[in-house]
Amino acid sequence: MKKYAIAAVLLVASVCAATRTYAQEDRSGGIIRSLLLGLEYEVRAGVSIGGTSPLPLPQEIRKIEGYSPTFCFSIEGDVIKWFGEKQRWGFLFGLRLETKGMQTKAQTKNYSMEIFGDGGERIKGNWTGMVKTKYRSTFLSIPLVATYKVNNRLRLGAGPYVSFKTSGDFSGHVYDGYLRENNPTGNKVQFEGDRIALYDFSDNLRTVQYGVQAGVNWKAFRHLTVSGDLMWGLNNIFKKDFETISFNMYPIYLNIGFGYAF
Amino acid sequence: MKLKVFTISLLLAGAACVSCIREEALNTEADIESCTLADDVLNRDPVIENEKVTLYLKKTADLSALAPEFTLTPGATISPASGTERDFSLPQYYEVTSEDGQWKKQYKVEATTTYNIPTLFQFEHVRTTKTAKGEYQIFYETDVSGKETIVWASGNSSYALTGVGSGADTYPTYQSNIGYRNKCLALTTRRTGDFGAKMNMPIAAGNLFLGTFAVLDALTNPLKATKFGIPTDAVPSRIQGYYKYKSGDTFYELDESAKDKLKPIPGKRDIFNIYAVFYESTEDMKTLDGTNALAEDNPNILAVAQITDAKETEEWTEFDLPFVFRPGKTVDPGKLEAGNYSLAVVFSSSIDGDHFSGAPGSTLCVDEVTMEYRDEEE
Repeated sequence: MKKYAIAAVLLVASVCAATRTYAQEDRSGGIIRSLLLGLEYEVRAGVSIGGTSPLPLPQEIRKIEGYSPTFCFSIEGDVIKWFGEKQRWGFLFGLRLETKGMQTKAQTKNYSMEIFGDGGERIKGNWTGMVKTKYRSTFLSIPLVATYKVNNRLRLGAGPYVSFKTSGDFSGHVYDGYLRENNPTGNKVQFEGDRIALYDFSDNLRTVQYGVQAGVNWKAFRHLTVSGDLMWGLNNIFKKDFETISFNMYPIYLNIGFGYAF
Repeated sequence: MKLKVFTISLLLAGAACVSCIREEALNTEADIESCTLADDVLNRDPVIENEKVTLYLKKTADLSALAPEFTLTPGATISPASGTERDFSLPQYYEVTSEDGQWKKQYKVEATTTYNIPTLFQFEHVRTTKTAKGEYQIFYETDVSGKETIVWASGNSSYALTGVGSGADTYPTYQSNIGYRNKCLALTTRRTGDFGAKMNMPIAAGNLFLGTFAVLDALTNPLKATKFGIPTDAVPSRIQGYYKYKSGDTFYELDESAKDKLKPIPGKRDIFNIYAVFYESTEDMKTLDGTNALAEDNPNILAVAQITDAKETEEWTEFDLPFVFRPGKTVDPGKLEAGNYSLAVVFSSSIDGDHFSGAPGSTLCVDEVTMEYRDEEE
């Protein structure tokens, strides 16, 4: 996965370098030729706010006591090919390096869980109490978006994306509550104060994710664009055979970005 | 344009809507939370464990017609109903069903007016309890007719929470086939793995005792979780039996700054502990626990029998420990008759295991333990 990350960084770096050159020359011959072919280029940087959540929230979650979106950035390079004489419809192909993350604190009731330790330890049971979760993954994503030009300034887009995870962390701890061992009729054990149980499901995160995105892109100035995209994951962030968390979790993020259009 | 904005708004509204907290599910637990009896017949607080309730009654109580009343997990139901009069000459069984109807738990409810503790502990009988990864054993004793007399308590139920143990003999407290006579008790100090270390409880000594292990408190207050002692109506005079002992290779002390929470103490050997305490149960000290069972200044303790010449040995070795009364302590016949005294008998594979010091692998085997009681008539 590292090589994707390196590829993305190289791509972004080269696009940035190109930007500077083009900015100086202002619409060089190459760009003009591209425009004639119906091709447009854009680089964007943005921040994402959202969460990775079960949909709908399972009944076991009684209260969300804390949520922090954490700082999630994205860098994206896009190529848009416009079709037809009027060039109203187009197709966007991009490469996006992004992080998705969040931190939550939730009150649960009878939350079924199973934890594995480094040495083959295994505990199973139903947890009633607090659960703190930290999620942060880095992806190399490829959006494939149909675009529609409303006017010279405003562009709409919607389409699928596919993401390849380059790194991921899903961990946290449970505290202030009690565990019923095995099932709701098992031994009851209290966790209080500094007695917490850590969990780490990072290794169970899925590598390939996909979803749909829809967004707006507004050309504020000749080269500066402002964009907003909603990205909705359609597959569980965990691997298929991972059953500790009994419900599927989907990443849903809103990305706000600024871009440079050539 | 409007359509797209509308679609996006709809999506966002959808996200907001499905993220709502849903209606609370019905309770799944099926616990007896408390038990009361009319007419002030209880001599001690009811001992409520996960699948068992023990009622110590006054000598004058009529076992054949008791109508215990229970409070349960909210919404749960019990059969036979709370308040039903039953004959407790033999243990009675109740079934509790959770509010959602999906979970059932059977409780054994036992009532007794006599506080006879057996005179011989043979460690021949165990029951197994299933865990996520395997099973562990619970020791009990029987009388000559095969009727269960007492159930031994141990920390096995909390070791199950470390997720380390698999088979019964990988737990700290287990039965061994190579006894002094037939089978015997085996106690081995174990490491508690990743989870145990993270909780600053890196080792667990094997232990067995008369009393109850309050697994609820096992993590928050481990010393208080071992409730030592059960009521007795006789005054113990000696405890005698046989043991074998081998220390583990490396002795460790708790070191919260180390990754595995252990600090090796080179050259130090581990040693076990066997002791018994005769004490008075009072309102403010219903049972002894790990914080005060041997405390010199504990006013409730009358007499202690403790091994003083414990050593490593591969041969079965006899221990014979007299109960030594503390200065100024005498038995009050009225209190003895009323059932106010208790007896604790404790075996541990590491003497400082309750403070997480010991040598993993240290193994104590115990068999054929005899209790002698004073004859109060003389």
